[in-house]
Amino acid sequence: MRNFSIIAHIDHGKSTLADRILEETGAITERERQEQLLDNMDIERERGITIKLNAVQLPYHYQGKEYLLHLIDTPGHVDFTYEVSRSLAACEGALLVVDATQGIEAQTLANLYQALDNNLTIIPVINKIDLPNADIEKVKRELMDTIGFDEEEILLVSAKTGTGIPELMKAIIERIPAPRGDRKAPLQALIFDSYYDSYRGIVTLLRVVHGSVKIGDKIKMMATNSTYEVTELGVHNPYEKKVEELQAGEVGYLCASIKSIEDVKVGDTITLENNPATCALPGYKPMKPMVFCGIYPVESSRYPDLRDALEKLKLNDASLQFEPETSQALGFGFRCGFLGLLHMDIIEERIEREFHIDLIATSPSVVYEVELADRSVVMVDSPAKMPERQRIATLKEPYIRTSIFVPSEYIGPIMELCQNKRGNYLSMEYLDATRVNIHYELPLSEIVYDFFDKLKSYTKGYASFDYEMIGYKPSDLVKMDILLNGEMVDALSLVVHKDFAYARGRAIVERLRELIPRQQFEVPIQAVIGTKAIARADIKAMRKNVLAKCYGGDVSRKRKLLEKQKEGKKRMKMVGSVEVPQEAFLAVLSMEEE
Amino acid sequence: MIKSAYVHIPFCETICSYCDFCKYYYQKEWVDDYLNALEEEIEKRYQGEELATLYIGGGTPSVLTLEQLERLFSILSRLNLSKEVEYTVECNIENITEEKIKLFRNYGVNRVSVGIQTFQEKYLSFLNRHHTSEEAITKISMMKKYIPNINMDLIYAIPGETIEELENDLDTFLSLDLPHLSTYSLMIEEHTKLYHEKITPIPEELDSQMYEKIKERLKDYEHYEISNFSKKGYASLHNLTYWNNLEYYGFGLGASGYLGNIRYTNTRSLSHYLKGNWVYEKQALTPLETMENEFILGFRKREGISLSQFQKKYHKNPLEMKVVQELLLKKFLVHQNDFLFIPEKYLYISNEILVCFMGIEE
Repeated sequence: MRNFSIIAHIDHGKSTLADRILEETGAITERERQEQLLDNMDIERERGITIKLNAVQLPYHYQGKEYLLHLIDTPGHVDFTYEVSRSLAACEGALLVVDATQGIEAQTLANLYQALDNNLTIIPVINKIDLPNADIEKVKRELMDTIGFDEEEILLVSAKTGTGIPELMKAIIERIPAPRGDRKAPLQALIFDSYYDSYRGIVTLLRVVHGSVKIGDKIKMMATNSTYEVTELGVHNPYEKKVEELQAGEVGYLCASIKSIEDVKVGDTITLENNPATCALPGYKPMKPMVFCGIYPVESSRYPDLRDALEKLKLNDASLQFEPETSQALGFGFRCGFLGLLHMDIIEERIEREFHIDLIATSPSVVYEVELADRSVVMVDSPAKMPERQRIATLKEPYIRTSIFVPSEYIGPIMELCQNKRGNYLSMEYLDATRVNIHYELPLSEIVYDFFDKLKSYTKGYASFDYEMIGYKPSDLVKMDILLNGEMVDALSLVVHKDFAYARGRAIVERLRELIPRQQFEVPIQAVIGTKAIARADIKAMRKNVLAKCYGGDVSRKRKLLEKQKEGKKRMKMVGSVEVPQEAFLAVLSMEEE
Repeated sequence: MIKSAYVHIPFCETICSYCDFCKYYYQKEWVDDYLNALEEEIEKRYQGEELATLYIGGGTPSVLTLEQLERLFSILSRLNLSKEVEYTVECNIENITEEKIKLFRNYGVNRVSVGIQTFQEKYLSFLNRHHTSEEAITKISMMKKYIPNINMDLIYAIPGETIEELENDLDTFLSLDLPHLSTYSLMIEEHTKLYHEKITPIPEELDSQMYEKIKERLKDYEHYEISNFSKKGYASLHNLTYWNNLEYYGFGLGASGYLGNIRYTNTRSLSHYLKGNWVYEKQALTPLETMENEFILGFRKREGISLSQFQKKYHKNPLEMKVVQELLLKKFLVHQNDFLFIPEKYLYISNEILVCFMGIEE
């Protein structure tokens, strides 16, 4: 038995390689092969990324012996590092996949370090060697110099053509150690994922570390002490296959008519009620959400549906946080915490697509650490909740340390970008003669704003980016409020560095002026800090909206026109006396800085 | 009770660049066939009610020859007109003649509506109108001798037009001393020449300034509807039929009518019409839709909606309706004596108010 996962940067061909391994083991035939079999969420296939990890069991015949391989897929994006750590904990080995045309990227390294922390055996794999612009020697050198692999360890494959796949299978079996679990010991199974199925209740994905579990066993969740009777066990091959028993070392799924979402905690250990293990397996460190935003249903009556959707999503995404929030402007909704912007984007899209709820999302914010005048410290995850200025002694914001991998000709633009984003230069390493890894210290809030887009455009897409949190630092920040027709709109408040306040204020009021249609009266839009207005733009009053000539008494035509106008109004949210379109609430994000 | 009829004559010598009405280029044979079909439609559908208003519109009714006009009037003579009927024909300057006007008068026509649109030469050609402003003035004076109850159509907000040019037009109108003016801000509709040329409308600020200017210059006239001004006693009874949500026949190609609870529109296809397939679509209104229309149409009038009339028709007091109460509170509606109306300053953005009456609840 061998348990392994694949770690790779986005686009380095991880999912294609997984498909190829599935084919090699005969789990699927060429004909069955849908593009990227393991990515089964619509969004995953559309965006070409893996979000949720998947586990498959593959029987493999090698040198006269039968092996059971468990492949656990992992996401490549920085926001999903947590998911990676979960899958790595269920493995003994990992394939480190690097694109022969690109070399090592920022996230490859981050995930690699996690794998090393978990004491996994790493097999370095250079993929896409069939491409004409592959530079195998250069990438080999990077792997040797940066990480310290030996040349003979490195495998060369093309997942597309199948070159090198047999050698890869050989390495998996020969290099990765078999799991060392004790089948006779009391059951200890690690829950590394779970999802909701409307027929079977909650399905948990687990790795049996010690002991075994059979259908009909009474199991106990060690963290919550809740007990259940196992109704179904199985593996994915990659389709679901029911089994009678899962033994130490195996990876599979378990159903036990679990209805309560709270009872299943990813990272918890399952044991047997009548023969319990003495202690739980080490779980995962919970990931802290970095980015927060308000999510509101466009139709306020869908609030309960939104809560339901968030609960179901949280089931297999422990990093998603949410708590009820009320906005004067938007009504009842939730303050949600995400690992990063992509995570936020994907959750919002899944709610709209899988649960069919139209959302209004407010601009994302980081968590500020506020020391009040009385020396007490509060964490503030929403600009609307920021205490008044007079009460604040010091205001701190989260900082990150970047790793930006980029061809050396872009050093200048990267530095310019980071300086503009209030960055402090730390250091720079040459990966080889033409590529560098640049380290900056940057406020997280600047990343949340538009850093990714800027990075892309500054480097023509050649940069890869990863970051780690390095803690809180005091900053000269101010809370800026937006007034519409003299009334503060809580959902539009933001925290901004003092030096940028004027420019941002001007840009926001201008953008809002473009987005909000004329009303029956003139509507001033103001950006204010405290009581001081720093920018203003006016939406002129509507001067004309009238039905023209009565065409020989054709009333249906007029009704159609009015119906169209009514539909348009439905998509607006009343904020005080002003009708505001949904997209205005993200105005803070979508504007161009001058 | 049906008391009005509209008759459509869909032929024109030239096509105005802004027009999206139902129209065909004038061809003599088509007109003869058309008049036969029109006769058949009226014969089959008209139930003999006494009519208080009859309106012949177009297209361009005055494009018809004297002979064809004779035929048209003889067809219409089977309609039972009341003694005080308001009988209107639309005319164009290009093809109206003294003979035709005399003929009109002889057949009982007592009101003409003449499409002038503008007195500025450059805009006349922009709108593809083929007369000069001098001709317009001469012909109107001629028409007045036979039928003094004349409405003039005037278009404003033409791209490039200035307030001064509009004032000149208004002055010319006033100097002609006509009892009625219909004035419309130029709409660029789909299926028109202007739309295909991607002409953009003037800014709404200027448009509304022009509207203000019109009201100011015509202060001696009664501003009885959003776009209509009249001397006392000269309001268009036919158009009031529409705005009062009353029934009317619509005869002819592309005409709309309202009979019982049915609103219908005739086909715009000449060949279908000639075969006797007159009606293109029919819609039976629910009582609620009828009530919505009462508001949507009634609020075009400055006097607004008569509460007692409304009560009689729907057994309901509008003042007890939630939507009305809300609008009264916001001062978008005013209640005075028996009437409920949109205050003058909101007339030009009245859609914002009318839209609240779409999908009203009991």
